[in-house]
Amino acid sequence: MDMNEIKEIFFQECEEQLAELESGLLKLNDGDRDPETVNAVFRAVHSIKGGAGAFGLDDLVAFAHVFETTLDCVRSNRLEPTQDVLKVMLKSADVLADLTNAARDGGYVDEARSRSLVKELEALANGEVPAPAAKASDPVLAPAAPAPTDDGGFQPIPFSFDSFDEGEAAEDGQTYEISFRPRRELYTKGNEAALLLRDLSRIGEMSINCDAGSLPEFDKMDPEEAYFGWTIQLTTAKSEDDIRAVFEFAEWDCDLEIKAQEASATDDELPMIPVPFDLAALDEGDAASEAAPPANAAASEVVAAAETATSVSKMAAAAARVEKKEAAAASASATAAAQNAAAAAAAGQTIRVDLDRVDRLINLVGELVINQAMLSQSVIENDTTGTSSINMGLEELQQLTREIQDSVMAIRAQPVKPVFQRMSRIVREVADMVGKSIRLVTEGENTEVDKTVIDKLAEPLTHMIRNAVDHGIETPEKREAAGKDPEGTIKLTAKHRSGRIVIELVDDGAGINRERVRQKAIDNDLIAADANLTDEEIDNLIFAPGFSTADKISDISGRGVGMDVVKRSIQALGGRISISSRPGHGSTFTMSLPLTLAVLDGMVVTVAGQTLVVPLTAIVETLQPEASSIHSFGANQRLISIRNSFCPLVDVGRILNFRSSQANPVEGVALLVESEGGGQRALMVDAIQGQRQVVIKSLEANYTHVPGIAAATILGDGRVALILDVDAVVAASRGQSLKPEMSLAATG
Amino acid sequence: MKKKVLTVDDSRTIRNMLLVTLNNAGFETVQAEDGVEGLEVLEDANPDVIVTDINMPRLDGFGFIEGVRRNEKYRAVPILVLTTESDADKKNRARQAGATGWIVKPFDPAKLIDAIERVTA
Amino acid sequence: MASKKAAQESLTLSSVLDLNEASVLHGKLTELRGRNLKIDASQVERLGAQCVQIIVAAARAWQADKKAFVVEKSSDAFEKTLQLIGLDPNQLTAKEN
Repeated sequence: MDMNEIKEIFFQECEEQLAELESGLLKLNDGDRDPETVNAVFRAVHSIKGGAGAFGLDDLVAFAHVFETTLDCVRSNRLEPTQDVLKVMLKSADVLADLTNAARDGGYVDEARSRSLVKELEALANGEVPAPAAKASDPVLAPAAPAPTDDGGFQPIPFSFDSFDEGEAAEDGQTYEISFRPRRELYTKGNEAALLLRDLSRIGEMSINCDAGSLPEFDKMDPEEAYFGWTIQLTTAKSEDDIRAVFEFAEWDCDLEIKAQEASATDDELPMIPVPFDLAALDEGDAASEAAPPANAAASEVVAAAETATSVSKMAAAAARVEKKEAAAASASATAAAQNAAAAAAAGQTIRVDLDRVDRLINLVGELVINQAMLSQSVIENDTTGTSSINMGLEELQQLTREIQDSVMAIRAQPVKPVFQRMSRIVREVADMVGKSIRLVTEGENTEVDKTVIDKLAEPLTHMIRNAVDHGIETPEKREAAGKDPEGTIKLTAKHRSGRIVIELVDDGAGINRERVRQKAIDNDLIAADANLTDEEIDNLIFAPGFSTADKISDISGRGVGMDVVKRSIQALGGRISISSRPGHGSTFTMSLPLTLAVLDGMVVTVAGQTLVVPLTAIVETLQPEASSIHSFGANQRLISIRNSFCPLVDVGRILNFRSSQANPVEGVALLVESEGGGQRALMVDAIQGQRQVVIKSLEANYTHVPGIAAATILGDGRVALILDVDAVVAASRGQSLKPEMSLAATG
Repeated sequence: MKKKVLTVDDSRTIRNMLLVTLNNAGFETVQAEDGVEGLEVLEDANPDVIVTDINMPRLDGFGFIEGVRRNEKYRAVPILVLTTESDADKKNRARQAGATGWIVKPFDPAKLIDAIERVTA
Repeated sequence: MASKKAAQESLTLSSVLDLNEASVLHGKLTELRGRNLKIDASQVERLGAQCVQIIVAAARAWQADKKAFVVEKSSDAFEKTLQLIGLDPNQLTAKEN
């Protein structure tokens, strides 16, 4: 792993923290006062700051710092998280997200916005109530400016004791007299006097005097008490601060005095002349003591031979060499075992896997499913009794294969939460822009669906949310006039329903203005002026290509992109979207999407001798047409009457050019499908073979796009079957040519 | 013999940075994601030194340090606090809990290794 | 650990002589009080100041008891630490007389 990979992990983690942050703030906004919620919010920002600092992302650090300081006020109950306060914080969370994106890939940051939020956050931290024109101190967040140093809150405290580029004040070095007497606490906190002395010896020429005077008798001593004290003479080019830095961790738990000595020491100084220390002397028992100068009588009167002066600088240097060698050897032999242990410890409850690997696995399982089906088929063909042990084994295999497939699919499944959370930001921002007050309520955020579906869901959902805020919800004045809560509500829910995920977007706005929609549709030549449409049909007109309900295209939801694009994106995912609306009470958009894009429940049908798969989700019902229900219409159009309404009959074989003349409907089966615009069509096929789950194989990836065909699959008997693109076929039946871009997104 | 470091940090980013830095410097590294896990793995990890964050879910750094110091076997293990909090208040609390020293984030690898070398033999 | 002969005991010091070991070491030495003692410090990898305090105090006690207290073998780490702390090996020695 290198730093770039860690940086990537950092950004992934940022995403999670930002989500955590937002959901926490929203909880607080809903009145949650659980300290753990505040802590989680604080930790999220704190964690982003920590990582950002490690990568030198100064803008991000600076903003996160200010944000964190304000959150700390909330955490320590100095700041009440009122709605106004939380509004600032939610906006700050948005800016933090922007800054993170900018740091990641140079996304856009509204600097003016972040500067003004810094001011607001600082004002909050200073106990000022939020106001639009908060009194501000100087902007802290200047682009590319170094992090503010005034508070030092996130400045590294230098403690380096071997930076040779500083403190070279004295050429020959300065001699310091250091008096160091540890207290018991120094040891109980895991510090060690011997190590401190070792470090001290490394920064200069040292002679040391151990004061064992307070050491009691052996049987009266407390083994864990600190009795020894030291007087050290250190000659070093380093400053006093550098010497103090050695004791940085220990200074609270010891008495420490550092005095610079005059260049010429007076005669009555302690006789601690540095004596060159010879390592070899150590090996000869008492050589060291012979080398030691005579002990000062006054200092040593308590206990004989309790003091010794020894220059240890050379020895320390030698020791340092030895340790360096050891360290080098150790790092060279970084064993797999250590890495394994570390990896195991780091693993915890989740692991991160490259998506490509998962996809490869899914692909392979797809192959396995097909292979297993083929094997079953050939066994069945050769074993008519169906009782052999092979057959039974195969059933188990089939069961296992299905379970493996489900489990593998589950790897890709993720909760819709991140997408939902992004929506709350959009609601906030758009509502702010259009001067509306809107609350987003989300439900079922933990509903899981394939990651690809999630990824592709964000865009259409964003568009719909913008629409709902911009067009759906009325202004507070209008709402009040209508006797509604001036604050509008948009509810976003996700749930599983019969093997699909259903996402609902409900607003309590004005609902679809059917008169206006109708007029617009007439103006745009989408419907005839005298067309007789049901309410539902009118509502669904908003999905028609080129339709835009806003009289003028607004910045927010306009840009020429209409609900037709939303519908197409949903359909491209194998999903459906519908709207229901109650004037004055709001609209409900319902999307139903497959849980995965790798498999599909299909109806296997025969058309002109070919086997096709029709996505089950598109089929409303199947029926056996009777001659009496078929009506000719125009040149070669036919209609089928179903429960007193007429539905165009589409011969799939004809559309796909499988045959030159229309098949006789009475000899086939009609599949009633729902298609774009909510209209129904009856698709004529020759026969139904059955229903089954098929593994989708992209045609684009393996062959080339075929109009009217969404993808392919391989059936149990090894035959390739094409998966019908229902919407493309229906569109073609309307006289539009089959367009290449209509396709089911398929994996594999 | 390799020195063994137990790191306790809830940030995956920091965990990875620690892992890389420590492995490169020749340490054996065991990692935990919060104080609770840190105490759980303590016995197995048998560390020579511990590096811990302060702000963590479940059990924060203060609680973790106190937990280690209460442990008969590990009460003397040096504990370095790795945190962005540099204000005296936090440092003091960490010290009272029994921290040996601290490293102010953003740490650079040399600083981290230095600090570990300082508190270990 | 304590061993056979009553007149001449020997004690091998643990490899890690830290805060945790201080009480243990004090206890072991207390048991060996009054007997000539040879210390084997060749296994010592880490030596903390508190254990040094105990050894120095013990040497003085043995001296007072007029029993021998000798560090017979010692590791580099043991000797290094004594140097750093500013003690010479004589301070860890008591003569039988």
